[in-house]
Amino acid sequence: MKTLPLVAIVVVTATSAFAEEARQVDAHEHGVGQLDIAFDGNQIAIELHAPGSDIVGFEYAAESSDDRAAVDAAVAKLAVPLDLFVLPAAAECSVVQASAELESEEEHADEDHAENDEEHTEADHAKHEEESGHTEFHAEYLLTCAQPDAASEITFTYFETFPNAVELEVQVVSDAGANAFEVERNNPKLDLRGMF
Amino acid sequence: MILRLAFGSLMARALTVGMTILAIALSVALFLGVEKVRTGAKASFADTISGTDLIVGARSGSVQLLLYSVFRIGNATNNLTWESYQDIAERPQVDWIVPISLGDSHRQFRVMGTTAEFFDRYKYRSGQSLELSDGAIMSDLFDTVIGADVAATLGYEINDPIVVAHGLASFTEHEDQPFRVSGILEKTGTPVDRTVIVSLKAIEAIHVDWKSGAKTSGMSTAADVIREMELQPQAVTAALVGVKGRLQVFGLQRSINEYKQEPLLAVLPGVALQELWQIVGIAETALIAVSGMVVITALIGMMATIFSSLNERRREMAIFRAMGARPRVILGLLVLEASLMAAIGAILGLMFLYIGLIIAQPLVDSAFGLWLPIDPPTLREVWVLLSVIAASAIVSLVPALRAYRLSLADGMMVKI
Repeated sequence: MKTLPLVAIVVVTATSAFAEEARQVDAHEHGVGQLDIAFDGNQIAIELHAPGSDIVGFEYAAESSDDRAAVDAAVAKLAVPLDLFVLPAAAECSVVQASAELESEEEHADEDHAENDEEHTEADHAKHEEESGHTEFHAEYLLTCAQPDAASEITFTYFETFPNAVELEVQVVSDAGANAFEVERNNPKLDLRGMF
Repeated sequence: MILRLAFGSLMARALTVGMTILAIALSVALFLGVEKVRTGAKASFADTISGTDLIVGARSGSVQLLLYSVFRIGNATNNLTWESYQDIAERPQVDWIVPISLGDSHRQFRVMGTTAEFFDRYKYRSGQSLELSDGAIMSDLFDTVIGADVAATLGYEINDPIVVAHGLASFTEHEDQPFRVSGILEKTGTPVDRTVIVSLKAIEAIHVDWKSGAKTSGMSTAADVIREMELQPQAVTAALVGVKGRLQVFGLQRSINEYKQEPLLAVLPGVALQELWQIVGIAETALIAVSGMVVITALIGMMATIFSSLNERRREMAIFRAMGARPRVILGLLVLEASLMAAIGAILGLMFLYIGLIIAQPLVDSAFGLWLPIDPPTLREVWVLLSVIAASAIVSLVPALRAYRLSLADGMMVKI
C-alpha cells in the first residue's frame, strides 16, 4: 500500500525517477512477435505486437528522413491486416477497424497514461526510446466475417512483407476455448480447424 | 474360388488359426485402446478447467501458475495483494472474479479458501458445473465443502468436524477453530476432488490468534467472537477471472501482465494447459510406440505359424500343383489366408475394444475421473486397421515365397 502514492507521483513526473522505484522491463526478443486472435460470433479481434527490428530493421529513434519514411511505410502496411494475415475468401471478412502505431517499452507499460494522452509527439517517442533502447509496433484490428467458421486457416504473408520477422507466438480464443500456436517463417500457415 | 479355398484351408486348421487371430485381435484392441485412453486423457486434462478466461497470480511462469492454482501442485512464489485484486475486480472488462487462497492443509489434502461464487463459476468438462452429492455449500464461517476423494479417503460425512493444519506439512493444527463438513461434492475427475473448500474469511479466521507464523500461547479467541470480527484478507493466492466479452480477453491480459504496482501474471487456462501437455505429452508417444510393438509382435507370430504350417502342407501344395495350379496361385493363396486372418483379427479386435469400453467406461470414470467416449471408429482408426491387414499381407510374403519355391522343386512324392 505504501508504494501506491509514490507510483502515482512518479507517473506524473518523470520516467527516470520511476526506474528507481520499481524496475521492470518486458522480455523483448528480436524476430519474435505476439499475435492474439479472438473469435466472437461474427467478429474477429486481432492484436499484434512486434519488435521494431522485425518490422523496420532498427529500434533507435527514427531521426533521418529515411528512417522516418520507413516507420511511416511500416505503419501503413500494418494498417491493412488482410494483406498480412490472409483469411480464406469463403469467410467473407472485412475490416471494421484497424490501427497501427510505434510505441516504446516505457510507454506501453503504462496503458492508462498512453491511452489518455492522445497527443504524443515524436519528441516523446525519442525520449522514451533513448532510455529503453527497444521499440515495438502495436496494431489492433477488428474484422467482421459473414462466414467466420470458414476462417479456419490463416496464411501469414506477414513474413513476406517484413523480412526480419521470424516467428509469431499466437494465442487464440474461440467458443472452443483458448489455445496457443507458433507460426514460423518456413511454415507461415495457421490451422485453426480445431478451434471451431 | 481361391477365396473359398483359402477360407476352407483356414477352417481346417481352426485351432492354430484361431489362436493367431486371437493374438492379432488382442494386439489391435490394445493399440486402439491405448489410442482411446490417450485422447481421453488429453481431453480430460484440457477439461480440468473451462469457462474461466484468465487465471491471475504472482508473476512467475504460466505453467507454474496453472499448477498451483488449478492442480494444487507446488506453491505460489508470491501472493496477490488484496488491493491489486480489488483493482482488477473493478476493471470494466471483468465480468466476475473468484479469489483462491491456498496454504493450509487437512491431512494429505489442500485447503482452499474461496467465495461461494466459486461453485457457480468453476466449470469442468466443457461447461459442467460442480454438483453437491450431499449437503449444501458453506453457510456458516466454519463450514467446509469437501471433494469426493477427500470424503471417500477419510470417510467423512455431513456434519463431521474437521481440524485444519497450519501450512502444508505441519503438526500444528488450528484446533481452536474446528470446521464442520456442510457439503460433499460429486466426483469430477479434477483436482477439486482432493480439495477441502472453505470460505475466504475462514482462512483469515483460523489465523486470528496466530502472530508471525506461530500460535500465540494462552490466547484463544472464541468462535463467536471471530464471527463478529471483520475478516478482510490481506492477500489471496490467485484469482479466476471471467471477462464480459471474449474480444476483451487479450487487452485485460496484457494490462495485468504490465501492471506496474505489482508484478502480476494473467494466463489463458487453455494456453497454459497446452504448454503443460507438451511437457507431459512425451509419455503418450511412448505409449503409442509400445502398443505398436505389440501389433508387430502379433504379426511376426502369425508369420511363424505360417512357416511352421508349410511343412505339413507340402503334400497339399503338391496336389494343387498336380491339379494345374501355378506356383503364383500357391503364393496368392498363402497371402490371402494371412490377410483373411488379419482382417478377422482386426474386426474382432474392434469388437473387443467396444465391449471393453462399454464395461470399463463407468468404472474408469469413477475411479480415475477419466471419460472415455464411445464413438464410431474414426478415420484414423480405420486406417490403423487397414494398415494392420496390409502389414500382414506383406509379412506373409516371406513364408509364401518359400512355399512358392518349394512348390516348384517338390514333386508329387514328398518325403515327409
